[in-house]
Amino acid sequence: METISLKEISTESKIALLKELDFDSDGEYVLNSEGNKILDRYLEIPIKVNNMVILPGSTIILDDNILSISKYMEEFPDVL
Amino acid sequence: MSSNVSEGITTALLKFSEEKIKQLAEYFRTNKLKFLGNSETIKIAKEVRDSGELIFYKAYIKDKPLLFNIKLGLILRRVENDPEKLSDLREKIIRKFQIKGLHIAYFVQNGILNRYVGILLDNLDSAETLNKIIANTLENIEKHVVFVSWKYKSRDIIQETMTLSAQKPNILIISGAGNTRKEILDSESQLSAILKNYELEKMSTEKKEILFFKINMLLEKNKQTKI
Repeated sequence: METISLKEISTESKIALLKELDFDSDGEYVLNSEGNKILDRYLEIPIKVNNMVILPGSTIILDDNILSISKYMEEFPDVL
Repeated sequence: MSSNVSEGITTALLKFSEEKIKQLAEYFRTNKLKFLGNSETIKIAKEVRDSGELIFYKAYIKDKPLLFNIKLGLILRRVENDPEKLSDLREKIIRKFQIKGLHIAYFVQNGILNRYVGILLDNLDSAETLNKIIANTLENIEKHVVFVSWKYKSRDIIQETMTLSAQKPNILIISGAGNTRKEILDSESQLSAILKNYELEKMSTEKKEILFFKINMLLEKNKQTKI
């Protein structure tokens, strides 16, 4: 599986990508298609567009922090 | 994914075109692509996951949430020279696992768990016993460890140690870092006097001061025989 670093993508393109994946953004946070902030799966905190990762597993968007990444690696051991 | 596809993706990112965004999303949906952030985060998570220390604990600790707290302690140790990462992770550990989770992680970060296991190994009859003792100690961490914060004075350390020692734990640890080191060192002789049935082992570094009191089984046995 190929990897793209979101650090190298502009905010505008990240938002366009989110929309293409049936998410949305208010310019700062990641929103679901109903316009509500989505929460990090493990920490239950809102996710900023500029600090997100988008991972396989029915499209999982996480806050890019080591606790959430470690938890994801336990739940989906073969992805990262 | 072929190198041609990769090149296509790179070009698309530079152009930010609508068409290429659609293509990226399609690659993602078909599991050809993932979008990551800070590569250092993943590197650290993988290093800790594959570390011998964690593999050791995986063999003995069967409680998954507890094992994850141990992993977080190892990650704290790995990032302890990076104040920003350290502070961010502490904050997130508290958010997810409350202060107790942070204390368990500290216990691991500071090498106290390793030292404790070393002591247990001297008198161990089975792996199951090791699992039980470690799990019990970590689940009841506040009964074994005085976590000295910046607010503590020597008298607070002594007071809290006396409270914990009333329960006669097999180990009793006083742990602090930074400015708290002085208060811990100032308390040392008085603590040794209070904890007469314990042997003191110090785990000091430039930044941390850990007093590790382990119960002297021989003294304790003699005391009970006399009673």
